[in-house]
Amino acid sequence: MAESRDLQARIYRGLVVLLFGIVAVNLFQMQIVHNQNYRKQAAHNRQERVRVRAPRGRILDREGRVLADNVFKASITLPSSSISTDGPDSTLATLIDWFELDEETTLARLRRQQESGRGRLVLMNDASMSRLAAVEERARDLPGARVDASARRRYPNGSLFAHLIGYTGEVSAAEVDTAGKFPLYRPGDAIGREGVESAREVDLRGQAGWYLREVNARGRVVGTREIALLEVLPGRDVHMTLSVELQDSLMAAMAGRTGCAVALSLPDGAVLAAVSLPTFDSNIFSRGISSDEWNALLSDPRHPFLNRLVQATYPPGSPYKIVTSLSALENGAASDGTSYEPCLGSYHYGDRDFRCWKRTGHGYLDHTGALVHSCDVFYYQVIQRLDLAQLKEVALALGLGQSTRSPFKGETAGIIPDIEWYDRRFGKGRWTRGVMLNNAIGQGEILVTPLQMAVLTGRVASGDANLSPRFFMEDLSAESAPLPFRPANLAWIRHAMGQVVDIGTGTKARLEAVEVAGKTGTAENPHGDDHAWFVGFAPASHPEVAVAIILENAGHGGAVAAPVAARWMETFFNWRERGEEQR
Amino acid sequence: MIVSLLARAAHTNKMLIVLYALLCFASLSILWSVTEGISGPYKVTDPGVAKAVFWRQVIWIAAGWVALLVAARVPLNLLEESSPFIFLGAVLLLLMVLMFAPEVAGSRRWFALGPIRLQPSEPAKVAMLLVLARMFGRSDSSGRQLLPVAGSLVLAMVPMVLVLREPDLGTSLVFVAIWLGLVFWFGLSWVVLLSVGSPLLSAVLSFYSERIVDSPWPWGIYLLVLLLALYVGRFRVMESFFLVLANIGSGIGTSVLWAGLKPYQQARILSFFQPELFRYETGYQAIQSKIAIGSGGLFGTSYLQGTQKGLAFLPERHTDFIFSVVGEELGFVGAMLLLGLFMAIILKGLAIARAARKPFNSHLAIGVVTYFTFHVLVNISITTGLLPVTGLPLPFMSYGGSNFLISSFMLGLLVNIGSRSFET
Repeated sequence: MAESRDLQARIYRGLVVLLFGIVAVNLFQMQIVHNQNYRKQAAHNRQERVRVRAPRGRILDREGRVLADNVFKASITLPSSSISTDGPDSTLATLIDWFELDEETTLARLRRQQESGRGRLVLMNDASMSRLAAVEERARDLPGARVDASARRRYPNGSLFAHLIGYTGEVSAAEVDTAGKFPLYRPGDAIGREGVESAREVDLRGQAGWYLREVNARGRVVGTREIALLEVLPGRDVHMTLSVELQDSLMAAMAGRTGCAVALSLPDGAVLAAVSLPTFDSNIFSRGISSDEWNALLSDPRHPFLNRLVQATYPPGSPYKIVTSLSALENGAASDGTSYEPCLGSYHYGDRDFRCWKRTGHGYLDHTGALVHSCDVFYYQVIQRLDLAQLKEVALALGLGQSTRSPFKGETAGIIPDIEWYDRRFGKGRWTRGVMLNNAIGQGEILVTPLQMAVLTGRVASGDANLSPRFFMEDLSAESAPLPFRPANLAWIRHAMGQVVDIGTGTKARLEAVEVAGKTGTAENPHGDDHAWFVGFAPASHPEVAVAIILENAGHGGAVAAPVAARWMETFFNWRERGEEQR
Repeated sequence: MIVSLLARAAHTNKMLIVLYALLCFASLSILWSVTEGISGPYKVTDPGVAKAVFWRQVIWIAAGWVALLVAARVPLNLLEESSPFIFLGAVLLLLMVLMFAPEVAGSRRWFALGPIRLQPSEPAKVAMLLVLARMFGRSDSSGRQLLPVAGSLVLAMVPMVLVLREPDLGTSLVFVAIWLGLVFWFGLSWVVLLSVGSPLLSAVLSFYSERIVDSPWPWGIYLLVLLLALYVGRFRVMESFFLVLANIGSGIGTSVLWAGLKPYQQARILSFFQPELFRYETGYQAIQSKIAIGSGGLFGTSYLQGTQKGLAFLPERHTDFIFSVVGEELGFVGAMLLLGLFMAIILKGLAIARAARKPFNSHLAIGVVTYFTFHVLVNISITTGLLPVTGLPLPFMSYGGSNFLISSFMLGLLVNIGSRSFET
C-alpha cells in the first residue's frame, strides 16, 4: 500500500509541477514576451486622446452685431466600443431603456456613426436637462457615458442674411483627409457649405486641439495634468460691411417680392445690404428640418436657395442705355444734343419694326431727353453709328461681363456679346445687324447679374474704375483709379440720371431731402412678364450710395422698382445722419 | 500558552508556519496597495476599494492564526469520529443559505451576521473532506473498491449540488476536485479508474474546449497528460490503446451528441457551465486582468504604482482578481515568488500526505493539498485568461473572512498531520 502511494505521490507531484509550469510559462509569455503590447493597452486604457473642437469664429455686421455665432448644447455621448457585433453594452442598453428610445433605430443610427469613424458616439443631441442630470447622477452605473458640450451654429437674424452668410454642414467621413497626425477635420465637425461660412472657412474654423488626459475605468478624468499635443486655436471673427438695420430695411422695401436688391456705399464699394428673394431660414441646417419642409423648399419654383445676387442673370433692359450713351459719347457717335428722326412708337430697320416701349411715341428728343425718358427709337438710331466692340468696351469698363469676385460660390460672369460671340452662337453670317438694335436697349442676348448692375451704377456715380463690391471690413482700402472716360461725359450721364428721377421715368424714386439719380428699366423676358429694374445713386451731386434693384416679372421699373429704392434710401440717409452725429 | 503552541507547531513544521506568515504579509501588503488607490501626480476622485477592507483583513488574519493553531492542535481522532455530524451541520447550513440568505446579484451565497458575512460553502469544504477521509480511511483499497468510491461520490454530490444551486459553479467544482484527489489517493486499480473516469473526463473537457473556451488546449493538454500517465504507469500496450481510443471516441461523441440536442437544451447546458459568464460583462474582467498582469513586465510598475489597479480598471481587485495586482505592481518576479510560496505549501503537503501512516490522516492531507492546488491554479488561470471567469478566491491572498479562516484551518490540519506522521 505504501508502495502504491509512492507512485501516486510521484504522479501527483509531476502533475502539480506541470500545471504550475504551464501557469509560469504563460506568465512569462504575458509579462516578458508580450509586455510591450500589454503596456500599450494599459496606457490606452488610462490615457484618453481627446480632440477639442475650436469654437467657430463669429460673423458680425459693420456695427458689431452678430450675424452668426455659436450656442452650446449638451449631448450624451458614449465610447465607440458601446456597440459590438453582439449588440449594445450594458450602459447603452440601460440608457435606451431609461429614455424609452426605439432600440432598433437607435442602434442603426449609432452604427452609422461608428462606421463614419467618429471618436465618440452621440446618443442624444441637445438632451433635456432632466436626462443630462440623470446621466450625471448615475455616472457610476453607466461606465463610458458622458455629457459633452458641443456647439451649434446660430443665426439670430433668421432668413435675413441667408444667401450672404450661407450655412455650415457636418463633415462626412468621405471628405476627411486622414493623412497627418492631427487632421484638420474629423467627421461631425462643422464646415462652411455656402456663403461667407464657406468663403471664409479658413478663418472661421480655427484649429482643433489635441490633448492627452488621464481617465479611470469609468471614463472620468482623474489626472490634473493634461498634456497638450496641439493647442486649440479659436476661429477668427469675420467683420462684414453689411448692416443689420439697412438689410432689414431693404428686405422690408422688397415686401417679399421675388427678386434681388443690393446697395453699395460709395466710394469704397462696401456692400451695405443685399437681399435675394425668396429666402430661407439659415438655422434650418444646424437646427434640423422636417423632410416635408425641406422638400417644399427644394420644389419651390421660385428657387429659394438661388443666390440671385451673383447666380441669377437677367437682361439689363433700359439701364444698359447708360452703356450705349457713354459709348456713343466716347466714340464721337453722338453728343449730348444729338437728335435723330422722331420717335413714333416704333422704328423700321431691315425687314422688321422695332418698337419703343411707349407705343404713342416720344416725338423729337435729344440725347439727354432720350435717356431721361428711355426712348428706344433714339437708341436704335444711335447704335447704328457704333459697333458691338465699342459697346462692349464700355460695358466691361463698368464691370459687366465678368465676375465681380464676390465671395460666393457659383458666381456667373453674365454675357456681353460681340461679333465673335454671335458668330460662335449663330454661325458666321447667319445673324443680322438687327441684333445690334436689341443690344442698344439692353435686350437680346445680354445677361447681367444684379451685383454687376450695382457695380456699374457705383462706377458711373464715383468715376472709380476699381470700384468693386466689398463684403468684408478688412477689404475696404482699395486704391481708386479713374474710369477711362472723359469726365464731361460721365458728368452728363450723372446729370441725365438725375433728370430721370426728377422728371423722367424714375420719379417714384424721388426723396424730399436728397437728390436721387437713377435709371429705370422694364426688361423683356422670354419666359414671362417683364422684370422691373431700377439702378440709382444718391445724393446725385456727391454720391454716397448706389443701388440696383430687380423685381422678377413685376412690370414697369419706374412703377415698381423705383419706390423700393426710395424707401430704402430714406432709411439709409437717416442711418448716415445718425452715424455722423455719433462720430 | 500561545507561545508554547507556536513553539510546538514550529518545532514540527516550521516551514508551513513560515510560508503561512509570508502569505499573510503578502496579502496585507497587496490589500494596502489596493485600498490606497494610486500614488503620484494624480488626483484620485474615485477611491474604489475602501481602506476598511485592509483593516478587516487584519482582523481576519488574526482570527486565521487562531484557526490554524486550533487545527494544528486538535486531536484528529476527535475530528474523524465527529465528522458525520460536522458534515450534517454543514449540509444544514447550505440548505439554510438556499432558503434564507438574501439574494445578491442573482445568487444566494452568504448570511450576514452583523458586519460579518458567513459563507457556508467554505466550512462545507472541510466538512466534506473530513467525512470522505474517514470513509476512504476505513476502506481497503486492495479489496472491494466500488463501495467507498460510489458511497463517497454520493456524499460529495450533496454539498456540490447544493452549492451549485446557489449558484456558485467555481466553489462546487472544488468539491469535485477534492473528491477526485481522494479517489486518486485511495488507489483504485488504474485500469478501473481510467477506463471509467477518463472517458467521462474526456467528454466534459472536449465539450469545454469546443463550446466554452473555443480553444483546443484544455482537451489537448488532458490527452497529453493521459498519455504521460499511461506511460509512467507502465500500462500494457493494448490497454493503453483502448483507453486512448475510448477517450478520443467519447470526446468526439460529445460533439455528435451536442449537435443532436435542441437549441433550448443546448442553452440550458451552456448556462449551467457558464453562469458567471452569463451574468457579468463578457470578457471585460478577463481582458482588464490580462492587461494589468501583462503590463507588469519583469519587475512590475513597483509597489503602489499600478495604474490599472489605481484607476479601477481591474474589477474585484481586492478579492478574486488580487493576483492581477501582484502581476502589475510586482511583475513576473513577484508573481513567481508568490507561485513559489504556494507550490512550496503544496509540495510540503504532498510529502506530509505521503509520510502519514494513518489512512485517515493521509487522505485528509491529500484533500487539503488538492484544495490548495485547485484554488491556486484555477484562480491564477482565470486572472491570466487561461480559464473562463468564475468566482474563486486565491487562498490567503484574497480579501474575505470565510475563505481565509477555512484555508488557515486546512493548513493547520496539514501541520497537525505532519506532527503525527507516526500515528497509525
